[in-house]
Amino acid sequence: MNYLAVLLDTKRLSDIKGSPLEGKVTDMFGGAIKALVMEVSDDQTSKIIDNLPGARLDARFFIEEVPIAFKRALFEKIKTMKSIGPEVIDAVLADLPRIKELAAKESESLPVPDIDISEALELQKKATS
Amino acid sequence: MEVKMKSLPPPHGGNLVDRVVRDPERGKKLAAGCSAVYDIKPTLYKEMPVRNVYREIMSICYGFFSPVEGSMTQAELESLLEKRRLLSGWIFPYPMLFDISKEDYKKLGVSEGDRLLLRLKGQPFAVLDIEEVYEINPGEVATRTFGTPEANPEVVKVPFDFKHPGFTIYSSFNPIILAGKYRIINEPRLRKPFDRFWFPPAKSREEFKKRGWTTVIAHQTRNVPHTGHEALLRNAAFIGDIKPCDGIVVNCIVGAKRIGDYPDEAIVEAHEMVNLAGYVNPKRHLVTICLWDMRYGNPIESLLHGIIRQNMGISFHMFGRDHAALGPYYDMYAAQILWEKGIPSFGLEAPPYAVEYGLHMRPQNMAEFWYCPHCAEVTYSENCTHKDELQRYSGSFIRSLLAEGVFPPPVIMRREVYQVVVKWWKEFGYPFNNKRYLIEREKELEVDLPPMEIPKFK
Repeated sequence: MNYLAVLLDTKRLSDIKGSPLEGKVTDMFGGAIKALVMEVSDDQTSKIIDNLPGARLDARFFIEEVPIAFKRALFEKIKTMKSIGPEVIDAVLADLPRIKELAAKESESLPVPDIDISEALELQKKATS
Repeated sequence: MEVKMKSLPPPHGGNLVDRVVRDPERGKKLAAGCSAVYDIKPTLYKEMPVRNVYREIMSICYGFFSPVEGSMTQAELESLLEKRRLLSGWIFPYPMLFDISKEDYKKLGVSEGDRLLLRLKGQPFAVLDIEEVYEINPGEVATRTFGTPEANPEVVKVPFDFKHPGFTIYSSFNPIILAGKYRIINEPRLRKPFDRFWFPPAKSREEFKKRGWTTVIAHQTRNVPHTGHEALLRNAAFIGDIKPCDGIVVNCIVGAKRIGDYPDEAIVEAHEMVNLAGYVNPKRHLVTICLWDMRYGNPIESLLHGIIRQNMGISFHMFGRDHAALGPYYDMYAAQILWEKGIPSFGLEAPPYAVEYGLHMRPQNMAEFWYCPHCAEVTYSENCTHKDELQRYSGSFIRSLLAEGVFPPPVIMRREVYQVVVKWWKEFGYPFNNKRYLIEREKELEVDLPPMEIPKFK
């Protein structure tokens, strides 16, 4: 058995608030990260890895480096089907052609996070001056 | 009993190789004696650059791969593939070959005894004194380099295929090998940001001397550091003599990598940020690079790492689980098996430090660091017993986190380190290596060459 973790930011947490999914939220790294962890059969794992370039099983037996489009589609299905069971993965796999199209665009560029990086730049400047 | 280490380990093979001509006039004279010129091309697989022999020439001529001095002869290649030894007897892991296509060979019209001028980015770069010309079967070289489950059952689990970058590199070699010694005749200048991390062995040894270091531990990396890496390098450094190691050297392997890895620029600066932000005192932490298109050869690669770092003057080397590995091909502890008891099927009946013509560098085989919510810290797997609560680090997981735009919590990645990732994300429009980055990078490379006037060739 392998696993897939769907990360939950504030928006996603509020989307599942009050649903049975709320009780299935897993704490990772001492609660610093919240996620829904899904079990994935070997057959489903092969379908994911064979169809999505870059996707791989890591040392924890988690499927990682799947396109963001896949994770987004997965969360949408989780939300509408109110489940993290195997049927959710099957539903996402049925939508693979569209996900692959979106993933191709994603491999060209990803939006840069809007964060202040002046602290690091200042440290670099100080060290090289 | 002498317990204090008073000096750095000797270079592998006894002497540091230095095949760099620093006087441009002498370089021009060597170029004038060439019978042909060849423009170095990247090795391609499905039109993507997977290797550039220039990096091997740099690492050989600046002594990282001492005692290797050039492209290997057929007898040396055979000796290496058979028992991982050079003809001189010194252990060495990988074939170092200058390969060209049959068409290029025909065009060049060179043979044994000729000197070939090698041009890089349109400028003279190095010469190759041809000792032998022979043909290889690239697929066979690839298979023998990495091993098979039948021939190397101690560590090879699954047959290698084209999903493995190192196997792909050797399989994509051209069939004609020009063997002979290299000499760099026009010293390249490292581009930013790599220039400040360029510490070839002679320079790193000088730097250690200047800092008063006699015990130094190496940390191999191809990753932006997370807090698990940081715990590993800090704790591994408690080895030493009568006190922990004087220095911790992070040696980043810079070269063609796979799609999805971090860009080299982010890797080197992120490691540097660990000391700039004060998480490890810069007085005992030095970030360096070595040019090499990583082969992801786990135990074989770890042997090369040992050689590189011993040549740099490093006394200890940390080896973790899945060292320089990718995919299911090797046992996840293959590198540690090599450094603990040797791998007889690869010609190493004992660990590399315990065989004749072996290494002087001492391994530090480390288990794992994980985050334990119960201990509320990053802890060593051999200490922590909270097996049901532990949280393993995974580079893939962290890359997924970043790609989804999630700010990594400090328990996973230092905020200053993440800022460096974002700096290069802004620069390249992408946080990881993608097709565009790899193609562009291969054009630019890590060096520029000063113009050098040379005689015209046909």
